[in-house]
Amino acid sequence: MGRLLVAALLLFVAGCSGGESAVPGGGKIDALLTKAPVYAGQVTPGSAVDRIRKRGELLIGGSQDAPLLSQLDPVSGELTGFDAYLGKLLAQYVLGKPSTDLLTATSETREPLLANGTVDVIVQTYTITPQRAERVSFAGPYYRSGQSIAVPKGSTGITKPADLAGKTVIVGANTPGVKAVRDVAPTAEVLEFGSDPECLTALKQGRGDAYVQDQAILVADASKDADLRLVGEPFTEDLYGIGIKHGDAEFTKFVNDWLREIGKSGLWQEVWKQTIGTVVTGEAPAPPAIAS
Amino acid sequence: MFDAPGPRFRRRVLWTSVVSAAVLAGLVALGLRQFAAGGQLDADRWRPYLTWPIWRYLLEGLGSTVLAAGATGVLAAAGGLLLALRPNRFTRAYAEIMRTVPVLLLVYVMLFVLPSFGVNLPLFWKLVVPLALSHAASYAVIFRAGVESVEPGQREAGLSLGMPDGVVTRFVVLPQAVRHMTPLLVTQAVSLLKDTSLGYVVSYTELLFNGRVLANYNGLLIQTFLVVAFVYLVVNLALSWLARRLEASRARTAR
Amino acid sequence: MSLVLEGFLNTVALTLLSFAGAVLVGSLVAVLRIVPVPLLRAVGAVYVEVWRNIPLLAWLVLFVFGLPEVGVKMPLFWTAFTAIALYEAAFVAEALRSGVNSVASGQGEAARALGLTVPQSLRHVVLPQASRRVVQPLANIAIALTMATALAGVVGVVDMTRAAQRINLELAQPLLVFTGVGLCYLVMAAGIGYGARVLERRFA
Repeated sequence: MGRLLVAALLLFVAGCSGGESAVPGGGKIDALLTKAPVYAGQVTPGSAVDRIRKRGELLIGGSQDAPLLSQLDPVSGELTGFDAYLGKLLAQYVLGKPSTDLLTATSETREPLLANGTVDVIVQTYTITPQRAERVSFAGPYYRSGQSIAVPKGSTGITKPADLAGKTVIVGANTPGVKAVRDVAPTAEVLEFGSDPECLTALKQGRGDAYVQDQAILVADASKDADLRLVGEPFTEDLYGIGIKHGDAEFTKFVNDWLREIGKSGLWQEVWKQTIGTVVTGEAPAPPAIAS
Repeated sequence: MFDAPGPRFRRRVLWTSVVSAAVLAGLVALGLRQFAAGGQLDADRWRPYLTWPIWRYLLEGLGSTVLAAGATGVLAAAGGLLLALRPNRFTRAYAEIMRTVPVLLLVYVMLFVLPSFGVNLPLFWKLVVPLALSHAASYAVIFRAGVESVEPGQREAGLSLGMPDGVVTRFVVLPQAVRHMTPLLVTQAVSLLKDTSLGYVVSYTELLFNGRVLANYNGLLIQTFLVVAFVYLVVNLALSWLARRLEASRARTAR
Repeated sequence: MSLVLEGFLNTVALTLLSFAGAVLVGSLVAVLRIVPVPLLRAVGAVYVEVWRNIPLLAWLVLFVFGLPEVGVKMPLFWTAFTAIALYEAAFVAEALRSGVNSVASGQGEAARALGLTVPQSLRHVVLPQASRRVVQPLANIAIALTMATALAGVVGVVDMTRAAQRINLELAQPLLVFTGVGLCYLVMAAGIGYGARVLERRFA
């Protein structure tokens, strides 16, 4: 898989070096990689960085089906999106080359995958919560997001989060939206579907009154679908962290240093512009302050 | 059980056929019209499935599905044989418990519980091992029923001819048992192949999971899942057809 | 806690209703497969082959998102019920058919020789013997169906598994939560097995 990705990457280097290509996201990573830093400091033998270097590949737990964040392009085999590109850049930082292998994780499998060392990091809209922090270490936060509300165009009656009370609300299964809706409108009936297109289809077919999802994803949906309207600004604040094996303070600091560096150099903003910035208008936001 | 059909009966059969054919055609036409009205039959929504890269991606998923099903089948059949050859209280209890525990639960045990005891298998085996554990019980039941379906007289006849026990089992009992078991074995293989769709829990990129990624990418949810369902149907039908052919050719050589 | 109860009740309701539906449709399909009309036999055969050769999860997704496109709008629970019932009906039909076929043909012929009509010999000779033989296969299908209802959670129905996942999302206690759910399924399956044994004794 990793070799396949690298091969696809090389194809893109050869194929579409001429700026914007027809494939969404295609080739964008190359431009980013040219500006990516590479770690040149000391490596403690036996540390996570040492293990990854010996293996020659960064093992990432993530998604293949999150548009704008980490979506596999089945045609080219390339992984595109904000999380996906950050993963590549982290590999570049550790190894000096963007060698990654993506293992699809789900919200149930993330903690065990880290705990037993199946993956080195989780980059998957992984919201930092106190409960999770007891079982994994978080680097970052690397992204500030929030849950937004979308309704079918022409529908009225939902203008603020509290209006969700008593309504049927569609959310992505196992996303932070489930809890967010319960917090702002405990009487809302929550309807979960496994993926974004399933949620969208369900909304259009009238199975629910509103759809609550990460703002970036909703903006992307609305940009493709004229029948969708976003209601106001995000009503929660979710801070995404990079999941690391619990207690590995050395590697957590290592990743935090890297996040600070790309935040300062403007590379973080570049990645944002190439992914989420293609649907969200305006300048790139400032990266969130690293916790420690 | 039925009498040879007379003229009145044949007429009735004809009428029933005509009426039911008309009803069926009407239902299909209604369904298609409704589908077309929703725009789901538009050529644009189907054209991607005429392109090779999309099929390559789906076939990659099918390859993983078949690989997982194959590995599960071999392990489960071996385990089932072991269980069937040694019928005792333990093996019977095992088969009984496995039958009433959802495979999904076994997958979860593999994912969450075993790693804390230091047992941590690669992704592929996290799907295959629970499936094999569960299906081994089914195989054991099939094997036992197959061996029991051979009349005891067959074995006795073999033994009375002075054949050793092993030879009787191998050349008299098993061939007949296998013939009786074939339909059940095929059903089991189909159910196994379908069960690999649980791969989405362990993030194993099999056919159904790939269908989901594809639907996410191009937004053509209904079309993608229709195509995926069609692939499953074709593969499983081919499996059944192959088994029937094998059985027929073996029946011919046996004669 | 109400979430757990809701999930449990939904799973139980879905199991009972789908099984009833599956037996109803399955009997119909079994009749189609036995009647001496070639076209109807073919329809029955196609039904069984199409339904049992495609994973239930694919059916569920197709029903939940496909049916509204052809103008059939049902609440999620009933959509899942329809898909599970129609899916398991294929297995029920096969169990019933092989149950009828397992009654030695001599039995039917003897009944016919005594002057009973086809419906009479079915009713008084073949079906009583067949019904005893199908109890166990039907119980197996019922148990498989119980496990299968977990997939309804994937298409939005708040069943026991979905409820457990929601709770796990906040508690992060997978072992506890999923073991509890597993035990619930085990108890349900044991109940079905017990019921089948009682039924079998009644028929014997």
